[in-house]
Amino acid sequence: MSKTASKLEAIDLNAYYGDFHALKNINIDMEEKAVTAFIGPSGCGKSTFLRTFNRMNDYIEGFRVEGQILIGGQDIYQKNVRVDELRKEVGMVFQKPNPFPKSIYENVVYGLKIQGIKKKSVLEEAAETSLKRAALWDEVKDKLHKSALALSGGQQQRLCIARALAISPSVLLMDEPASALDPISTAKVEELIYELKNDYTIVIVTHNMQQAGRVSDSTAFFYMGELVEYAKTKTMFTSPKDNRTQNYITGRFG
Amino acid sequence: MPHIDTELERLKTKLLEMWDLVEYQLQSGREAMLNADQELAKHIIKRDRKVNQFDVKIDRMCEKFFALFTPVAVDLRMVLAVLKINANLERIGDTAEGIARFSKKLEAPVDPQLLEVTKVLPMYEEALAMFATCRQAFKENDTVLAKTLIKRDKALDKIYRKSDSIVTTYMRDNPDKISEALAVLSIIKKVERVGDQITNIAEEIIFYREAKVVKHKSDKKKKKD
Repeated sequence: MSKTASKLEAIDLNAYYGDFHALKNINIDMEEKAVTAFIGPSGCGKSTFLRTFNRMNDYIEGFRVEGQILIGGQDIYQKNVRVDELRKEVGMVFQKPNPFPKSIYENVVYGLKIQGIKKKSVLEEAAETSLKRAALWDEVKDKLHKSALALSGGQQQRLCIARALAISPSVLLMDEPASALDPISTAKVEELIYELKNDYTIVIVTHNMQQAGRVSDSTAFFYMGELVEYAKTKTMFTSPKDNRTQNYITGRFG
Repeated sequence: MPHIDTELERLKTKLLEMWDLVEYQLQSGREAMLNADQELAKHIIKRDRKVNQFDVKIDRMCEKFFALFTPVAVDLRMVLAVLKINANLERIGDTAEGIARFSKKLEAPVDPQLLEVTKVLPMYEEALAMFATCRQAFKENDTVLAKTLIKRDKALDKIYRKSDSIVTTYMRDNPDKISEALAVLSIIKKVERVGDQITNIAEEIIFYREAKVVKHKSDKKKKKD
C-alpha cells in the first residue's frame, strides 16, 4: 500500500539546460491526494518541471536548478537526499509503455527485488495488490509468468503503472501516459488515475485538453518556461483568467 | 480564420438571421393589432413555422459543434449562450404568433382611447427597440449595451402592472368593448413576457463575454457587478 500521499511544492524554482533558461520562477503548491495536470505547448517546460520532482533531469549534462522542490515539506535537492530513496517515494510512468523484457510478474516485483526483498510470499502479495490497483489483475492473473511484451499497449501501460505502485510511492508522475494508447485503453488508464488519487498525489503531463478536463482536479498552464496560470480545472476550462491560457485551450495559439 | 472560428461565425450568422425573422414577426404583430389586419395576422401565424425551423436548425448546429469541437472556455460559453438565446428567440416568435391570434379576433381597429390609456403602443415600441438593441449587443459583443436592457425592462413591467386596473375601469365604462379590451390586456401580458425574454438573452450575452452569471441576482448585486 502507499504511504501517506504528499503535498508537492515548488518555491522560486528556476531550471537551466546550460544557458537555456527552461523554467522561470515557478511557484506552485499542489494538493495531496489530487490530480494536477500540466498543459502547454511542446517545449514550454512542463516535462522538465515534472521531472524535477524525481530528479530525473540530474542525468542531463548542463542541467541545474535553483530554488526549492518540496515533497511533503522536504526539499529534495538538498545534498543529504538520496536519489534512490527519493524514487521510492515518487513513481513515474512514461509516454510509451516500457516494460522490461521479462515476465509480467518480474516486471511488477522488479523494484522490490532491487531493494533486497526476496521473500516469495511478500513479492507475490505485492504483485497481486499492485496489479489489482492498476486494474490489470483479472486480465493477467493466469499468465503472470508470460512475457510482458506479449501484452497489448494498453495492458503494458497499466503494467508500468503497477510496477510504479509496487514500491509504494506517495507520488505518481505521469508523462503523457495515454498518448500512445487507443481510446479504450485511454479510458481505462484515466479511470485508473481517477481511482488512484484516493491514495496518491498524481501529476500528469498531457497534450489532450479533454483528458486534463476529465482526470484532473487542478490544471497548470505553462508557456515558454513560465507558469502562466494555475487553477481548479473546472475554472480553467470554463473561464481562464489569462488570454494565453484561453488561446491555448481553445486551440488558437500562435 | 481557424476552422473553429468559421463554424462559430456560421452559428452566429444563423442566429442573427433568426433574430431578423423574429423581429419581423413582432413588428407585423404590432401592425396586425393596430389595424385589426386579419390577413396579416394569418401570415404571422403561418410564418411561425419558419421560426421553429430555425430553432431546430440552430439546436442541431450546436449539438454538432459540441460533438465535433468539444469547446471550452469562451467557445463553450458562446455555444451555451447561443442555445439559450435560440430558445428565447423561439419563445418570442411564439409570443408574436400569440399576438397575431388575438389580433385575428379583433373585428375593428382598436379604440384609440383604449390604446391611449393602456399605453400598449409605447410599451410595444419599447419592446421592439429593446429587441433591436439586444441584437446589436450580441452582434458586437457589447455587454455594456446588454446591461442597459436589464434596466429598460423595468418600464415594461411598470405598464404591465398597471394594466389590470386600467382595463377593468375601461371595461366598466365601455361594456360594449369587453372582448376588445381583453384582447389588448392579453397582448400587454405577452409584450411583458417579450421584455423578460430579452432580459434573459441580455444575461446570456453577459455570461458569454464576461463569464459572469447575472440571472436570478437581486438588482443590488447586479449593480455591484
